[in-house]
Amino acid sequence: MIMTRKDKLFFISLLPLSSSLLAILILSIATIALKSLDSLQIFGFNLLTSSIWNPEKGIYGLLAPLIGSVITSILAVFTALVLSLPLSIIIVEYLRGIVKNIVSSIVELMGGMPTIIYAVWASQYLVPFLKEFLMEPLHNTFKYIPLFSCRPITGFSIFATGLSIGISIIPYVTTIILEAYQSIPLAYREACYGIGATRYESIKIMLSLARPAIIAALILGFARSLGETTIAAVTVGNSMYLSSCLFAPGYTVSALIASQFANAYLYPYAESVLYASILFVVLISVALSFYGSSIIIRWRSKIVV
Amino acid sequence: MYSWRKIREKLFICIIILLSLLAIAPIIHLVIVVSINGIAIFVKAGTSFFTGLPPTPLSEEIGGIAPSIIGTLLMTMISLSITITLAVFAAILTTEFPKNSISVAIDAIAKSLASIPTIAVSMIVYTLVVVPMKGFSALAGSVALTIIALPYAYTYFSMVLRSVPAIYREAAFSVAMSRWSAVIRVLIPIARKGIAVGVLMTMARIMGETAALLFTAGRFRNKVSFSPTEPADAIPLLIFDYILSPYDIWHQVAWGATALLLLAYIAIFFAVKLIVKEVKL
Repeated sequence: MIMTRKDKLFFISLLPLSSSLLAILILSIATIALKSLDSLQIFGFNLLTSSIWNPEKGIYGLLAPLIGSVITSILAVFTALVLSLPLSIIIVEYLRGIVKNIVSSIVELMGGMPTIIYAVWASQYLVPFLKEFLMEPLHNTFKYIPLFSCRPITGFSIFATGLSIGISIIPYVTTIILEAYQSIPLAYREACYGIGATRYESIKIMLSLARPAIIAALILGFARSLGETTIAAVTVGNSMYLSSCLFAPGYTVSALIASQFANAYLYPYAESVLYASILFVVLISVALSFYGSSIIIRWRSKIVV
Repeated sequence: MYSWRKIREKLFICIIILLSLLAIAPIIHLVIVVSINGIAIFVKAGTSFFTGLPPTPLSEEIGGIAPSIIGTLLMTMISLSITITLAVFAAILTTEFPKNSISVAIDAIAKSLASIPTIAVSMIVYTLVVVPMKGFSALAGSVALTIIALPYAYTYFSMVLRSVPAIYREAAFSVAMSRWSAVIRVLIPIARKGIAVGVLMTMARIMGETAALLFTAGRFRNKVSFSPTEPADAIPLLIFDYILSPYDIWHQVAWGATALLLLAYIAIFFAVKLIVKEVKL
């Protein structure tokens, strides 16, 4: 591209404000890395292999919150998949006119909703509901499976958090799947109907075409639920005890930080350990976001000719 | 006689409809429940809910959430103005010079900033602003909110600017406009409604953010404060603290505050819908 002198001036005048984005990113990563250095040097791999939180004695382990974060995110992604996929199919394939408008507006409304509202609703209504109608029946029928082996006492648990976060990311996942599904060229659909496929059969074929994009949506959803704080802090039950049972209270990294960071300056290394815990989460979620969006870009260039 | 293929078709539709209803049931239940609980609190507390101070755990009166409302307004205004300025400039740069390596870098940076969890931003701002300033402040809260909203606003604005058809730009150049005046006098006026939507959506995002304020704003709700350098409170913070507390009176206040936040969000949502509708006409 040819740049005249005026254009160059224009370009340079835009630089200082625009590069503030770069400055913010570098400062952020440097801060987290520097702050977590202390604890990484002192505790090393013990941080990842034990789950003790004893600031008075200066012993820390992050295994329970890290596993809690991963499990709640897996549950969340699973919930979101089961509910978003039908929702996207119905919006594209079956709904028309005003009904379609209303349903997609509801999805949009859900998408921008402040998470604190979900958190309040989940803690007061969803958790008791899940306890009575999902956790207790599952516990009573499948006691012998370790995942369901403990009796849900309050309902606040890893399981409840996973489902609550799952509900809150439905619109996010749905939007990505919808966009992908709608960008599949019409020719494929015409080809399906041309060989006499029913709607179900053509949807099956379309979904198999969109599979990489759906997987990408799940990866992006996973990255987002890893960092979710308010819903997790309110529903997870805050316990450092590592259990194989989904109905026991647990911790996620963000819930741990939300409840411990305010007092962390009182104890040596507590702050640094918390920075280390968020460092892991930031690294995973940035990596996954890039991976997820690169899948979509590659898929789009292949399918949309 | 029904064939298996036709039965499968019907079965499929039934399952899909059922699961879709299950997917949107939570939001409908949520809106209804929050409205009912919130309106009950509004009626009980009267107008003092917007002007009074929060109750102590053992008091009988519900009181109000004035410090949180003022705090939210103050921090939203500060951070919105910074965010919009920075995001618009960044978006103009990357749409005007899309092939430039700096633009490519800004795109990637915005993407990585957007994927940093909000609680991490709160911890970063705690170290970079709160500790040097020796105290929590509305300003620190605004900085945290800006970091969170910036990549979001940037992505939206660059999408809006890119969606302006190329013919307008070509027309501007053909009458010998410089790049700068083409942007200011042609591109932005054409995209103004999209930009308005972007501003509103960024505002909704900033207003409802909780985690970013946890260790920055200070959760100070004993008096109404208008100063940006003093500790402040925000509506989401108040909800977060009160819903986790064991006191019934605080739960009630939290419900009222949640309803207020939902109301504000829905108002913004409808404003956006109205503007978008006009764009189509």
